[in-house]
Amino acid sequence: MSDVAISTRGLRKTYRTRRGRKVVAVQGLDLEVPSGGVHGFLGPNGSGKTTSIRMLLGLVRADAGTMTVFGRPVPAQLPEVVGRIGAIVESPKFFPAFTGQKNLELLAEAIGAPRARVGEVLERTSLGERGKDRFRAYSLGMKQRLAIAATLLKEPDLLIFDEPTNGLDPAGIREIRETMRALGEQGKTVLVSSHILAEVEQVADTVSIIGHGRLLASGTVAEVIGGGTAPTVKVAVNNHEAATRILTAAGMTVRADGNYLLVEGAPDPADVTRRLAHQELYVSELAPVRADLESVFLELTEGEGL
Amino acid sequence: MIRLTKVELRRLMARRLTAVGLAGLFLITILLLVATWFDSQPLSAAEERQAQQQYEMAHKDWVEHAEEMRTQCEADWKTQPNPKPKLEEMCSYSEPKPGDFGKPPTVFAQIMPDLLHGSSYFLAFAAFLIGASFLGAEFSSGAIGNWLTFEPRRLRVYGSKLLAAATGFVPIAAVVLAVILIGTFLIVDRLGDTASTTGKVWGDLSAIGGRAVVTTALAAALGSVVGLLLRHTAAAIGVVMAYLVLAEGVFAAFLEKAQPWLVKLNFDAFVRHDAQYYVTECKSGSDGSYACDYVQKTLSFEHGAWYLAIFTVVVVLLGGWVFHRRDVN
Repeated sequence: MSDVAISTRGLRKTYRTRRGRKVVAVQGLDLEVPSGGVHGFLGPNGSGKTTSIRMLLGLVRADAGTMTVFGRPVPAQLPEVVGRIGAIVESPKFFPAFTGQKNLELLAEAIGAPRARVGEVLERTSLGERGKDRFRAYSLGMKQRLAIAATLLKEPDLLIFDEPTNGLDPAGIREIRETMRALGEQGKTVLVSSHILAEVEQVADTVSIIGHGRLLASGTVAEVIGGGTAPTVKVAVNNHEAATRILTAAGMTVRADGNYLLVEGAPDPADVTRRLAHQELYVSELAPVRADLESVFLELTEGEGL
Repeated sequence: MIRLTKVELRRLMARRLTAVGLAGLFLITILLLVATWFDSQPLSAAEERQAQQQYEMAHKDWVEHAEEMRTQCEADWKTQPNPKPKLEEMCSYSEPKPGDFGKPPTVFAQIMPDLLHGSSYFLAFAAFLIGASFLGAEFSSGAIGNWLTFEPRRLRVYGSKLLAAATGFVPIAAVVLAVILIGTFLIVDRLGDTASTTGKVWGDLSAIGGRAVVTTALAAALGSVVGLLLRHTAAAIGVVMAYLVLAEGVFAAFLEKAQPWLVKLNFDAFVRHDAQYYVTECKSGSDGSYACDYVQKTLSFEHGAWYLAIFTVVVVLLGGWVFHRRDVN
C-alpha cells in the first residue's frame, strides 16, 4: 500500500457565478494525506475544502492539476479505487421517502455487498431500531450516522468526512469524533474537513490548513502548532531582572508577562530551571505555553484576508 | 450495468410517485372500460321504435319528393357561377336507409384502434411524468452525489437509470393495453358487434398496442433525460406543457406545413401506422378568383418512426453529454 493515501498537485477549480463572474475556489492546491490515522483538512468557510473533496470524488471536474488516491490517478482511475473510499460530502443526502434501511439496501446492491451487511452497519451505527423509519424523519445526527453506515458498507480504507459535525448537538459531535478516532486507530485513513479547529485538534494526527484554495501549512498537529521550533515556557521566579539576564545570555528570548516571564528558545524546559538554579534563582512555577491549532490557524489565515 | 439497472428498477418500483401513477393508470383504464360499456349500450325499445318511425317518414318523403328536388337542384346548378361545384355532389339525394336512423351498433374493429391510440397518450404522459420525477427528484434531493460516490462511472449510471425507466414501463404499458383490449372485446361482444374481428384485425390491433408500448418506453426515457437536464420534476412538466401549448398549439396553427416536424403528429403516425393532417392551400384562378381548400395529407409510419428514433437518440445523447460533464454539487 502507498504511504500516501491522497495526493494533489496544482489542483485548480474556477466557478462561474450566475452573473458570469469567475470565482477561484481552489488555486494550485498541493495536498498530501498520509495513509492511516486521522488527517484534519482545515480552512475557513469558502476556502475550497469541499470543492477539493468533490474533485477527489469525481463529482466536480478540476480545471487543472493532478490527483491520486492510493497511488491511482483520479478521476481517470477512480472506479478502481472507489470501493476503498467512503465519503460524506456536506450534509448526508439520501432518498428522503425511503427508509434508512432501503437506502442502504440500494447502495449495497449497487456495489454488490451482501444484504446482511446492511443490518450490520445499521447496528454498528446504533440505527438498528430506526432503520425502518423514512430518511426524512431522521434527526441530523441520525442522518450523519446513516451516512457513516453507508460508507461502512464498502469496508473502506479511506473515509472522507466533510464537516461531519455541522448542526450536531454535543453528544452527536462526541459520537462522530469517537467514530473517526476509532477508524483512525484501526489503521484506516480518515480525512476530515472542518472549520471547527478544536474538534479536529482532538482527533487528528496530521493536518493541512488551506486558505483561498491554497495550502498554508501541513504536518503533524505538533509540527503545525509549534512550527517545528522549541516550545515557549512560562516561568515564575523572584528576580525577573537577573533571570532575564541569565537566560538571555544562554541564547533564549525572554519577555515579561505580568508576574511571569515567557521564555522562548529553550531546547528543553529543564534547561531553564537548571541555568537559574546555578545562579541560586529558584523557579516556583514552570509551564509550557502550548499554542493551539486555532491560534496557528488564525495566524496563518490572517494574511490571506480570510 | 445490469446490476445497476436492477437496482434502479427496484428504486423505480419502490417510489411513491410510481405507485400513485400506477393507481392512476388503473383508474383511467377502469373509467375507459366503463365509458365503453355505456357507449355500447343499444337503444331502448322505445328509442328503436322512434328511430324506425323517423326512417319511415324520411323514406316516404324521399319517394315522394326526391325526383322533384333533383330537377330543381339541377336547374339551380346551371345558374351557379364558375367554378361550379360538381353536379353529383350538389344534387345527390340518396335513398335513406334504416341504419341511418337510431344508434349503430358498436363495432369492436372500428373503435379499438382509437381506444388504443388514446390510451397511448395517457400511458406516454404517465411514463414521462414518472421518468422525469425519477431523475429530477434524485438531483433536487442531492442523492445523486451520494450515489456517484459509490459508482463514479457516470455513463453507466446514466444508462442504468434510463434503461430502468424505459424497461420498467414496458410490462406496465403492455398490461394496461391488454386489459383495455380484452375488456373492450368482452364488453362489445356482449353489447355490440365483434363478428368482423378477423385475424388481420387482431394483428393490426396488436401492432398498434406494441407500438404504444414502445412510445411509452421512449416517453419514460425522455422524461428521465428532461428530469436530469432540469433537475426538477415540476420544471420538466412545465417544459412539456409549454411545448404542447406553444409548439403543438400556437405554432402548428399558424404554420400548418410545419406539422410533420412536431412530436404529436409523428407520434400518431408511428402508433396508428400513418396519420392524416390538414393544411390550407390557397390559389388564384385564371379568372382572378382566389380560393382556399383544406387539403388532407398523410404522414407516413416510416417518417414517424424515424422522427421518434432520431429525436430520442439526440435527446439521450444530449443528456449523457451533460451528465458526463456536469459538476454535481
